[in-house]
Amino acid sequence: MIPDQIVEGPLTMSMDPYIGTWTKQEAAHLLRRTTFGPTFQQIQSAVNSGMDAAVNALLQINATSLPISYDPAETISAIGSTWINSVYPADAASSQAHETARVKSLGAWLMKRMNTENSTIAEKMCLFWQNHFAATLAPDARASYQYHLLIRNHSLGNFKQFVKDMTVDPTMLIFLNGASNNVYSPNENYAREILELFTIGKGPQIGPGDYTNYTESDVAAGAKIFTGYIVEGLRSTTLTSPVSTYYDILHDQTTKQLSSHFGNQSISAGGASEYVNYIDVIFQQNQVATYICTKLYRYFVNYDLTLDVQTNIIPVMAQTMIDNNYEILPVMQQLLKSQHFYDIAFQGALIRNPLEVVFGMFNPCESVPNFNLATNSDMYVTIYYYCQTMGQSYGAPPSVAGWVAYYQAPSFSKLWVNSTTIKNRFDIANYITLYTGIPVNGSNFKVNALQLIDGLSFPDNAIAVIDDMCIVFFPKAISAAQKTLLKFILTGGLPDFEWTIDYNAYAADPTNPVVSSPVRIKVEQVLSRIFQMPEFQTI
Amino acid sequence: MKRRNFLKNMTLASLATPFALKGVNYQGIAKKLFNYSKSAEDRVLVIVRLNGGNDGLNTVIPLDQYGNLLVQRPNVIIPQSNIIQVTPEIGFHPVMTGMRNMYNDGNLTVIQNVGYPEQNRSHFRSMDIWTSGMTNISETRGWLGRYLDSVYPNYPNDYPNAANPDPFAISMGYEVSATCQGLMSNFSNAINDPFATVNLLNTGVTNDGSYFGSHMEYLSILIDQTNQYGATINAAANSGASLSTLYDVNNPLAVQLKNVAKMISGGLKTKVYILNINGFDTHDSQVDANNTMIGNHSNLLKMLSDAISAFQNDLGLLGISNRVAGMTFSEFGRQIASNASLGTDHGDAAPMFLFGSCINSGIIGSNPIIPGSVNSQDAVPMQIDFRDIYASILKDWFEVPEIEIQPLFEQSITYYQVLGACNVGLNELVEERDKGIVYPNPAVNNATVRFKCQNEKVKIELLDLNGQQMKVVFDGNLSSGIQNIPFELEGLKSGQYFVVVNKETVKESITLTIIN
Repeated sequence: MIPDQIVEGPLTMSMDPYIGTWTKQEAAHLLRRTTFGPTFQQIQSAVNSGMDAAVNALLQINATSLPISYDPAETISAIGSTWINSVYPADAASSQAHETARVKSLGAWLMKRMNTENSTIAEKMCLFWQNHFAATLAPDARASYQYHLLIRNHSLGNFKQFVKDMTVDPTMLIFLNGASNNVYSPNENYAREILELFTIGKGPQIGPGDYTNYTESDVAAGAKIFTGYIVEGLRSTTLTSPVSTYYDILHDQTTKQLSSHFGNQSISAGGASEYVNYIDVIFQQNQVATYICTKLYRYFVNYDLTLDVQTNIIPVMAQTMIDNNYEILPVMQQLLKSQHFYDIAFQGALIRNPLEVVFGMFNPCESVPNFNLATNSDMYVTIYYYCQTMGQSYGAPPSVAGWVAYYQAPSFSKLWVNSTTIKNRFDIANYITLYTGIPVNGSNFKVNALQLIDGLSFPDNAIAVIDDMCIVFFPKAISAAQKTLLKFILTGGLPDFEWTIDYNAYAADPTNPVVSSPVRIKVEQVLSRIFQMPEFQTI
Repeated sequence: MKRRNFLKNMTLASLATPFALKGVNYQGIAKKLFNYSKSAEDRVLVIVRLNGGNDGLNTVIPLDQYGNLLVQRPNVIIPQSNIIQVTPEIGFHPVMTGMRNMYNDGNLTVIQNVGYPEQNRSHFRSMDIWTSGMTNISETRGWLGRYLDSVYPNYPNDYPNAANPDPFAISMGYEVSATCQGLMSNFSNAINDPFATVNLLNTGVTNDGSYFGSHMEYLSILIDQTNQYGATINAAANSGASLSTLYDVNNPLAVQLKNVAKMISGGLKTKVYILNINGFDTHDSQVDANNTMIGNHSNLLKMLSDAISAFQNDLGLLGISNRVAGMTFSEFGRQIASNASLGTDHGDAAPMFLFGSCINSGIIGSNPIIPGSVNSQDAVPMQIDFRDIYASILKDWFEVPEIEIQPLFEQSITYYQVLGACNVGLNELVEERDKGIVYPNPAVNNATVRFKCQNEKVKIELLDLNGQQMKVVFDGNLSSGIQNIPFELEGLKSGQYFVVVNKETVKESITLTIIN
């Protein structure tokens, strides 16, 4: 094993538009990085439309669905409708039961979006921002919903405005103690993290309390600036949603002095919108663009910031962001269309996170739970917990810095897999292919092997089937020997034409289990093998 | 850290220094070396991480500073009468009865005011510093990983193997520990349940020199190791035992420590176990609004104290307590003044705990001074560098020669006696453990004498250098066990004194320095 420092890095250091070959290999790379598991047809369609149009089509944030009441404990909103503006009952036990029911619905909603709304970058962007702001669920599911909606609405929008809105979001105010930060006793939690993690980032410590980009005194000043907001209406029996409210009496009315890292500027008392003035000052520092572009790069391209990347790539991204007043979309357009992004060194350079594992198995097979509302929802909740056992609980990042795999040197995405989580990855792979599927309320949810096979280019041709599946599931070509092994599993060791006969028999009578089962089982066996190959663990 | 390697280390050390000494009995040294390495070979270090920054001032409470603490943190401070008094100067949070008992039994050390210069108050940076054991930002390895790299430079290639069948370190849970990060791989295996067997498919892949290739090799080795280590871990856990009835099944740390006890007693040769408790970032609701003795921080300390004391009890019953030692750490302490959210913000130094029956002494370091008025953001300044504690653990516990420890650290190491009580022959060990001590030493206003006695009459005197009796500290009957007798030093001039413990069979004399 060789240390990552001496891995062959990317050769293409240009952010100019990519003009090289545009085949399924490159299109699949784009889709794997920007969605949760493309189908073969999505890949083919991206090839047909060309790189430029394919990227433009991905960079959309469409309207999304709403979380739906389904648990019988929910009595305020009707089952099948949404609870996002429903009050809570007065009785404490019942209030808690409603919260539990709503949190399950929220979790199901988050998972369902990744499973069913997979034609754009939206869900990958949302996970990026959830990792960035990293708040855990609020004690009121309506606030948690508002937070996740805020993320989605801003996910390709204006970063500066995003930070401003996030600063007074009820969930964030609770998460980092902004709601209890007042003139009588400033609480530094949010003031520290907005600098260290959300905007400008922490540089090396160059003196006592001085972190290159800001100082401890800026943290203290920020705490004062953010004073005055509280959250009202949590689990209210009358208010239909929690709100952030500003109270002047709780606000620190002094002038706040910032350090030399912010040009020794001061922030004078500005009431409810004082925090906006402060955030504007923070964003005057171009380091904010460098910081967030570095994070986008690590998430979408590669964890390894070589000197070349720091010199030639990040500054170009940051300049694009500054030129566009902190709009995110132009940066993503430039990045996903760049020559650098398509450098072959990045194929398979990241290890899949647990969500990419799970939906990377279901989505290419167009497997969507299709039972009743309660079973579908509980199925998604179960998937949520599976991901948790693999190290990723969407609503509860391990800390305000997000998941360690996105920031911890030197291992980065390798940290997703260890002896416990690799076992859980393989267990679920077997469960949804060879075994019964995920069991919920007497129903079972598996990969849809027949749907997958029907969507391939020549499903009756064993060689083409394996080629297409490799394009869908592996970031790089696998060896001829590995392909032969997969084909051996598909054909059961018989000559290739036997597969053709079996498949055509099924295609002629697709609802007849006598002919469909053998085909389905063969494909499930291949999938089981693929999902347990190291190559599948990367994107 | 198998025998062969420890022997190798010890041989190097003996080549480096003792041969130069005159009159050394080579046979004697060789015999001792063997004993040393044999004991070090079997030793286990258990690390408990208190994640989030533990509020040291509400954990180990400096009783002589209570008045000023009350001014600075009135809404979170523990009522004075409810603090568990451990020594005349130190008290524990009321839930820490288990750890107080460990202290009284000689199984717990408190190291005060541990940190590093220019404390970084970012959770993440500071945790990196604590796990790497370096303040140098470019260091990506953990302090144990760095040591293990120096002994096993090719890891993970060709591991496990016949000489090293067991994982070097086990991280209980879903994550590997940054303390064990080596250059090429992490030396710890993440094990959530040692009873869950594994047999994963490995398809065998090659490394083509790309990022992808490095992942392929990593995954392939991981799968092989998971299978092989999984089998040995499982076998050990199944053949191991746990005898204590003190573990609470609802205490997740206790459940994990119980599994650790089973793995150790089952013969697993793993050297390091790492466990984690989240939730110490108590910016708000650290305590209950109506009762500062309950709340989030209290629950966490109770979990810690109950679990560790049950574990220590188990080790004793299993007869392996001399092979196991533990330590706690957290990325920083919290500020002196509390905030209005019933919480505390990120601070600087904080206490560490060491536990086990081979610890050297009860309290290392003196109480922090809490001034009458503090500036916003003030915290407890560092007195003891945590890197020195790490180095001392390597020296005392794993018996790594100093000449090999210094290159692992960036600071010039100051060694503390932390875990050396078992590093002598069997008889000497008993004597060492039973020897009386006075702490703190030097002492200012008061001190405590600690010693072991039978069911007997004991008289303790304080004498000056001329043998003049200054006071009688204690005179009466004591029951058998370890005794801690506090006494006042008021009116005594600065200088050297003797504390003399007169037991029925033996008389012990301990030197005490008084600064008044």
